[in-house]
Amino acid sequence: MEKLTLMFFKKECMGCHACEVACKQEHELGIGPRLVRVVENAPDFFPIHCHHCANAPCKVSCPVEAISRNERGIVLIDKGLCIGCKACLEACPFGAMQYDNATETAVKCDLCIERLNHNEAPACSNACPTRCIFWGVAAKLNEKLEKPVLSG
Amino acid sequence: MGAVKKIRTVCRSCHGGCGVIAHVRDNKVIKVEGDPASPISQGTMCSKGLAITQLAYHPDRIRHPMKKTEKGWERISWDDALDTVVAKFKSVMDASGPESIVIGQGTGRDYESHLYRFANLLGTPNVLTAGHMCYVSRVGATLITCGNLPVADWHGHPRCIVMWGCNPQWTNPDEHKGVDFWSAYKKGAKLIVIDPRKGFLAKKADLWLQIRPGTDGALAMGFMNVIIEEDLYDKDFVNHYVHGWDAFVERAKEYPLEAVESITWIPKDLIRRAARMYAKTKPAILQWGVPTEQTINCTDCTRALVGLMAATGNLDAPGGNVFFVPPKVRSVSAFSRHKDLAPEQRKKQLGGDQYKLAARVALISPKAAWDAILTGKPYPLKAGLLCGTNPVVTRANAREAYAALKKLEFLAVMDFFMTPTADLADIFLPAGTWLEQNHIADNWKRHGYALAREKAVDIGECWQDHKIFMELGKRMGQEWFSTVETALDYLLEPSGLTWEEFKKVGYLKGEMAYHKYRQKGFSTPTGKVELLSTALEKWGHDPLPKYTEVPESPVSTPDLLDEFPYILNAGLRTPTFFHSANRMIPWLREIRPDPIVEIHPETAKKHGIAAGQWVTIASPRGRVKQRAKLNFGIDPRVVVAEHGWWFPEMKEEGHGWDISNINILTDNAPETLDPVMAATNLRVCLCNISPCEDQEEMNGWRN
Repeated sequence: MEKLTLMFFKKECMGCHACEVACKQEHELGIGPRLVRVVENAPDFFPIHCHHCANAPCKVSCPVEAISRNERGIVLIDKGLCIGCKACLEACPFGAMQYDNATETAVKCDLCIERLNHNEAPACSNACPTRCIFWGVAAKLNEKLEKPVLSG
Repeated sequence: MGAVKKIRTVCRSCHGGCGVIAHVRDNKVIKVEGDPASPISQGTMCSKGLAITQLAYHPDRIRHPMKKTEKGWERISWDDALDTVVAKFKSVMDASGPESIVIGQGTGRDYESHLYRFANLLGTPNVLTAGHMCYVSRVGATLITCGNLPVADWHGHPRCIVMWGCNPQWTNPDEHKGVDFWSAYKKGAKLIVIDPRKGFLAKKADLWLQIRPGTDGALAMGFMNVIIEEDLYDKDFVNHYVHGWDAFVERAKEYPLEAVESITWIPKDLIRRAARMYAKTKPAILQWGVPTEQTINCTDCTRALVGLMAATGNLDAPGGNVFFVPPKVRSVSAFSRHKDLAPEQRKKQLGGDQYKLAARVALISPKAAWDAILTGKPYPLKAGLLCGTNPVVTRANAREAYAALKKLEFLAVMDFFMTPTADLADIFLPAGTWLEQNHIADNWKRHGYALAREKAVDIGECWQDHKIFMELGKRMGQEWFSTVETALDYLLEPSGLTWEEFKKVGYLKGEMAYHKYRQKGFSTPTGKVELLSTALEKWGHDPLPKYTEVPESPVSTPDLLDEFPYILNAGLRTPTFFHSANRMIPWLREIRPDPIVEIHPETAKKHGIAAGQWVTIASPRGRVKQRAKLNFGIDPRVVVAEHGWWFPEMKEEGHGWDISNINILTDNAPETLDPVMAATNLRVCLCNISPCEDQEEMNGWRN
């Protein structure tokens, strides 16, 4: 299975938060859950996002098996099964798992699976003004980030 | 549920221009995304534009005309609202003349053509805009210096970029967007950043010049000093195309780098390296931002920057600062009917005798307006119509602005929400967002484009601003058009397209030609770049650029330092808000819930201020509260505060306009204004900081 994932070339993140709003809009989320979040410590910016981990701690921690990996390696949550216990929020090493008060369930990045099915880039990547958000097969993305278009 | 229809349109959440595809289902916009075919934004969008659905469908949005009565705001019909405004304006005009009516807008947006047409046909010379200290001020200063505004030519392969007090990726550059800068930079251009604060660009820069806020004009003259002394200027250009070069050279000698270092706090070797890099790496772009304009040095600083572009041969050269050729559409100026304002009315412009450059670009300063209302001198303003502007939050000396607007006999506002300024109005006219309008977007800018903004939906009874001006104008007996779209046909006429056709084309671009001056000279009285200005000479001002010390600073007012030891750099921009807009949008407010004041950790420690605490910021004019963020990237002698704050969640009149509003602290005294443009010193004054005593109350209030 070739793992699909999302990656930020952090050096080029300028902290504009467009990805966050694009994500909220795409997933129809209100205040609270932030599936992607840029933390500012000027002049540096640190995007927090789901890495679609291979042996995903969120998946392992879930007592009701609401979290799974699909055939493309995207880690997904089934909100219908989620009991809202937040074990996954504690388990995620990145702080990427989120809780939605509106549905009383955990919620996470699904890599905009519906958009991917239509051959469209994830909403965050699509909006990014510096084009620093990449998605695709994890192994190939690593190559890309090792040889960034821009040095420095 | 109906099918999703995709409508190609153009954003206006800032000055606008980015291409958008609006997804509409059942007459509601359910989503917006960037338009990959847009020449301005190439498919990218920012948080402000992306959040438009939360603005357009916000529960607090005013969706029908309102009238203030003794019982408070009441819903009325459009007929009632327009008739009320027209009746009041007519009675004021009969009693005191049309000059007693002030027409105002905030930041530049593409209803300017309609606003000015309404004002000119009304006969009032008193149009109040942000232009005295933002963009129009640089248009004015460049107009008298080189005939037009030189705009960054990002697609011309610049090899060096000077980002001077500007962060186009976070905020709103006036022509091209940050995405164009970024692609030019990514192609390997050198980057020089002039910024008091270490932001993203400063981190990326080859050279970062951490300037003392407000001293840009001195730095520009310092650059010039190096370029002349080291013989780095384009001799052919200055010999043929510069008026007053020798005099200018003499003036530049007054700015040796030792002196410039002491004024700007930038080490002289760094200034020298930056000046050399700019002058030797060709072509080079100099992109400057509003902080250079929002000072007493507005006109002189802009003129000195044009001097740098000219001396280095980067003016109207590919990859430099160029004069874009507009597309073949009717100009804003022609549509605005400036020529129809009678000379005797023009003469009555408030402050027009004194601020000649402001008069030249047809605007008045807020100070002149407030004085006229509050003192009745030289004559009183009686009524006003303000569109998309919130001066009690965004203009210097906010308390005076508030008092003046409150005193105005009659005020109508056009807006989306009940803002602190709208609270003072008698009539509220609900304007449509960019999703609710047909317009030729960006037609006022100087980047060579005109873009089709197509209406996606109607919401409530809101009307696009253009229509409001038109319907008011018709009721005043002015010459207008039958519909918004027929006005667009008129604007498009020179292109040979109708609005219906233009919508399908998407955009028009003027055919670019460089080095136009070689055939036609520059559009100035001498046909040259006037570093020695014939206009300023005629108006009785120093015709050469110079640096004037910031009116309230450690140098000008050392006696204030005991009480106010820090330089306040007011007006930090954030990527989620545009001036005073967007504080009610949940997605954006979640990202930036509080007004932030940035303080150097050493300075904070000295005052016992911890990160995240509420801080009282005080200046000789008042005090406000913002939340502390510690930042090693600013000078310990400087405090950096956000502007534009009010609190839509506070429902009582005023919406907390004076709690965190940094303009309570700024000054607008006549002696602090630019002498020809009346630019307000909106950025720099002295301040002190202390932890708020009521931390818990401040936290509780926000929750």
